[in-house]
Amino acid sequence: MKRQTHLILALVVVLTMPLLMHSGSLASEVLIYGLAAMGCNLLLGFTGLLSFGQGIFFGLGSYTLALTLTRWPLPMPLALILATVMGALGAAIVGWVAIRQKGTYFVMLTLAFAQMFYFIAYTATGLTGGDNGLMDIPRPSITALGRTLWPLTSPWQFYGFVAAIFMAAFWLLLKVSRSTFGRTLLAVRDNEERAAAIGYNLKLLKLQAFVISGAVTGLAGALHAMMTGIAPLSNAEYHTSEMILVMTVIGGTGNLFASVLGSAFYLLLADWLSTLWPRWLLLLGLVLIAVSLWMQRGLWGLGETLWSLVRGKRTRATDKTIEKLVVAASPSGGNGEQA
Amino acid sequence: MSTPILLEAIGIKKYYGKFAALGGVDLKVRANTVHSVIGPNGAGKTTLFHMLTGTKTVSAGRIVFDGQDVTHVPDHRRVQRGIARSFQVTSLFLSLSVRENLRLAAQGIAPTRAMNCWHEPEGPRSCAETVASVLARLGLESFASVPAGNLSHGQQRRLEVGMALAARPKAIFLDEPTSGMGIDDLEDMKSFIRSLRDEHTVVLIEHNMNIVMDISDTVTVMQQGRVLAEGLPHEIRSDNRVRAAYLGNMITGGKA
Repeated sequence: MKRQTHLILALVVVLTMPLLMHSGSLASEVLIYGLAAMGCNLLLGFTGLLSFGQGIFFGLGSYTLALTLTRWPLPMPLALILATVMGALGAAIVGWVAIRQKGTYFVMLTLAFAQMFYFIAYTATGLTGGDNGLMDIPRPSITALGRTLWPLTSPWQFYGFVAAIFMAAFWLLLKVSRSTFGRTLLAVRDNEERAAAIGYNLKLLKLQAFVISGAVTGLAGALHAMMTGIAPLSNAEYHTSEMILVMTVIGGTGNLFASVLGSAFYLLLADWLSTLWPRWLLLLGLVLIAVSLWMQRGLWGLGETLWSLVRGKRTRATDKTIEKLVVAASPSGGNGEQA
Repeated sequence: MSTPILLEAIGIKKYYGKFAALGGVDLKVRANTVHSVIGPNGAGKTTLFHMLTGTKTVSAGRIVFDGQDVTHVPDHRRVQRGIARSFQVTSLFLSLSVRENLRLAAQGIAPTRAMNCWHEPEGPRSCAETVASVLARLGLESFASVPAGNLSHGQQRRLEVGMALAARPKAIFLDEPTSGMGIDDLEDMKSFIRSLRDEHTVVLIEHNMNIVMDISDTVTVMQQGRVLAEGLPHEIRSDNRVRAAYLGNMITGGKA
């Protein structure tokens, strides 16, 4: 039961959002960026790699889906798979180069790739539409043998589709994080030098983490393009990388469900703040400062602390009653119990 | 009486720019012995250690281990050949439990298993037997579930050596395993290292001369990137070059 806690929590989020929220698009966005943040978390929280390249994989997913649905007559599920593969491929290339360095230089390399990708996307207007992006992306219904199984016309219909993909991806990533591979990544995160000394090929481990991260981020980018009907240049921009990173950090690193919290918190707060003040990003900056200064384990860590406080009080209270009972029952007046 | 040679280093040189940290070192380590390398700071002990374990590449020379040339084999692949090491400065996975530290170290002999994204490290994948036997050997059974970062310094030093043991290596390289240890832990560590040679070969880099004299089968003395003398502990103790050169009564513990 305890092992499934995170899966159940994710399911609760997926099922309660339609009850509490008005906008199906916003709810879909929470899950889509949740996917991207989980991809980022696999690198940052599990492997200790701070990547500014997540926007590349997100953008690759968006463009791939847009191109396959507008220019080639490929079925939509295949377009999603293709976008996932392109995200993984992009991550393999970025990762392959970037993991040659550590620390600051690793971060700089991912940043350099992000900038390069942006300008390539900006320049290659024939492929990406340049500044305008790719527009009029259709959102075909899911059909089988000529019958419509699941129309995706309304925002909430699309949400259902995203939710199903999200749960599948969440389950898969949870499995990866608990696998022998995921557990070895934690070792790399904790101490690279020792991990190499006991026999692990750090480059191979990091590369595989990159590929998985890129795949899920590419999928998120594709779903985002499907949702909005456009693949804008901004999806490939450095700002997207930054946003994904901020969500991951606010949610809490090293825990996949925390990334969903981070995504929900960021998007809902942004949605609310933007109605209050056009300069809402400034307020979001304050939140990030607060998290960096006082809540380094993010929202998840905060939740854990509160939970243990509540439970701690309860168990301490019961401990005392048990102690009293034991003391009363023991013939030596309790001293014997201490030894 | 003497056992076969497990490790042979021939003419090892290491340059940092123009500076020669090692100026051609020859070393022969026999199987199932404790072979100590001593010398003052800057003698090149740790550099030699890095060459032998593969952390850094040699500028010149050859390293033959267990009959195979491993000169250009990177450190993480030397583990599978049977070379394991502990660090001078404790280097553990501090947020992970003691058991998980050892499991990861045991799994390192078959590192391709670490690429498995599907199965959890359970059952035959958990290296449970190796982990249990190393835990017992270190006397850390009751701390198995404690994060390594919460152990005392002495316990961390023991786990540090345990990380090397968990790979079930032919040769264990220990870089100053007693550094920063209290007097009480010191004797334990000494007998522990001594006991290792039943199943392993131990190469010990040590600053603490008393430890070396008590537990070594062979002692190599280094000075300025070269081997100054080599022999049995009592030979080294009475070697005039060693005594006259620089060690003085530090090496004899004030007895000479």
